[in-house]
Amino acid sequence: MNVNVVFTGHVDHGKSTLIGRLLYDSDSIKEGQVTEIQKLAEEYKRRFEFAYFLDAFDDELKEERTIDTTKVMFKGKNLYTVTDVPGHKEFIKNMLTGASHADVAVLVVSAEEGVQEQTGRHAFLIHMLGIKDLSVAVNKMDTVEYDKAVFEKIRKDVTKLLQSLGYRDLNFIPVSAIEGDNVYQKSEAMSWYSGPTLIEALDTIRPAKIETKPLRFVVQDNYTVNSDRIIVGRVESGILHKGDEVVFQPSTVKGKVEDIRVFNGKLEKAQAGDSIGLVIDCNPNRGDVCGLITDPPVASNQFTGEAVLLNNYLRQGEILQLRCGTRKVRCEVKQIQERINSETGVVIEKYPQQIRQHDAATIVFATEPLVVEKFSNIPELGRFILIQDKNIGAGVVLEAAR
Amino acid sequence: MQELKDLENRSIYILREACAEFKRPAVLWSTGKDSTATLWLCRKAFFDKIPFPVIHIDTTYKFKSMYAFRDNLAKEWGMNLVIAKNEEAIEQGFGPKDGKFECCTRLKTHALMKCLDDNGFDALILAIRRDEHGIRAKERYFSPRNSEFKWDYKDQPLEMWDLYQSLTQDKTHTRVHPILHWRELDVWEYVRQEKLPVNPMYFAKNGKRYRSLGCEPCTLPIESNASTIDEIVKELRETKIAERSGRAQDKEKAFTMQKLRALGYM
Repeated sequence: MNVNVVFTGHVDHGKSTLIGRLLYDSDSIKEGQVTEIQKLAEEYKRRFEFAYFLDAFDDELKEERTIDTTKVMFKGKNLYTVTDVPGHKEFIKNMLTGASHADVAVLVVSAEEGVQEQTGRHAFLIHMLGIKDLSVAVNKMDTVEYDKAVFEKIRKDVTKLLQSLGYRDLNFIPVSAIEGDNVYQKSEAMSWYSGPTLIEALDTIRPAKIETKPLRFVVQDNYTVNSDRIIVGRVESGILHKGDEVVFQPSTVKGKVEDIRVFNGKLEKAQAGDSIGLVIDCNPNRGDVCGLITDPPVASNQFTGEAVLLNNYLRQGEILQLRCGTRKVRCEVKQIQERINSETGVVIEKYPQQIRQHDAATIVFATEPLVVEKFSNIPELGRFILIQDKNIGAGVVLEAAR
Repeated sequence: MQELKDLENRSIYILREACAEFKRPAVLWSTGKDSTATLWLCRKAFFDKIPFPVIHIDTTYKFKSMYAFRDNLAKEWGMNLVIAKNEEAIEQGFGPKDGKFECCTRLKTHALMKCLDDNGFDALILAIRRDEHGIRAKERYFSPRNSEFKWDYKDQPLEMWDLYQSLTQDKTHTRVHPILHWRELDVWEYVRQEKLPVNPMYFAKNGKRYRSLGCEPCTLPIESNASTIDEIVKELRETKIAERSGRAQDKEKAFTMQKLRALGYM
């Protein structure tokens, strides 16, 4: 099966190096790539680094840090899409971009430095993104002489941090990316550790149970094909059958699904993830959400969300745009309920007038009619982005008005 | 195969987003396997007729068989084909002898710039994939280019989930990458499943085949005996050789690809 795994953690704790090591030991590096990197390292008077398999920008090499997110693929028992993200605070935008598609996260913590600012922030953000499957790799064990006491101390600190976010039963793996200990091969230097290696921990990941959820189909567009009008979009949750009686919100139009169309064919049913077309006797718009009339989506003018801000300020009363599913609406920051430190998850201010860059916050948004779902119920329609000329923040829906 | 269906579903979603969000999109077609598969995905997304122009950048240095393949398929699939050519540079005799970086920039990037200017396209659909090159692995699905055609790779947009940024304020166009998440192997399995036409140069003759197609002077074949799609799929499952190993512009110097792409190369 396909697994999307994101490597997160503080700058210089070895995320890129760890991924580079995984690629190298799993024999996923292409011929010539090693010599290419050796040549580069010589040119820049550096020693060979596994991280150079990921850090493809010259600025990344010069500055010895990851700037933007990278995705690479390799095959273990699962087919992995591995996402590397930058550990610098100034690149949180790129970290979020990379982490938003992940099913699983690995939090990398240096044995030398322990919990640092971005360790906490990344943990908070992956929790906000709803990533439940998390492993902790305590890296650079070679620099602390593979000392069990150091590992245990970090395990204690990180457990405290993650428990406050609600994580339980975590895998803690002592590794050295540079030396290859417990990454792909079992370490001989840490006989005190009997748990899985990093790849073993990843290989045990099994698909989450698919729950029965109400049908939600988002409308992208409508096309006229050979005089048939086809409503195109994607099933985000549940199952749609030919013949279903459905309603579209916020348009409020209703109809019976006459046909489910794909190129050169018709389907009896479609399920979550399917990009399809509907032939139906009503006129929904782009941005509408469709559901069964027996379990319909609800459009409202207000919801409460938790968001993280990437531009300088966001003030109470400010008007901006918000997108959820395929619908973009004007919205107002009606009330900021809590300003949250995204490094610790701690509420630092109640009912503030404004929040700043990298703050998280619980916010009541007043919007044009919009269908949102509680993130914990239907994540696909429970996440949104905030737009002001460009995308300036992202969040999840805590409470949808009914 | 469920995997291919998942890849296809997401690509179709992205193509429909591009078509809904932009006024004048166009798709780039090199005639190679990736962009041909992308055109097929367009046909699927829009129920047969591709509703926007298909741009082919003609450097005049492409392999003969690529031109033949192009003209046949353009007719068969009813494409609105637009040929982009930097006539001025070609008349002046510009070519690979002037250096690969300069040649790619003039004959490809500048030709494309002019074509965009002339036609007012605000979105360009491109068949790049993350696994082709380290620099392409850093791309977004919707990637803005500024008025000078440049890729501001140090400040890429926040792109979360499938909520792409499509604003174009002081951006001349947005690059849309519907198959960014596909691997080379996926493309070939898709070609096999969908029975897509491909240029015969991909199949081995006398122990050599082309794995990636570009301009004749700058593209070399690899050693291979894979003469059918099944054999290519098998070869790709085992090979350790990089896909673009035969493409000169990737390897001339470190970061040539980054510099080319920063200037607007594909």
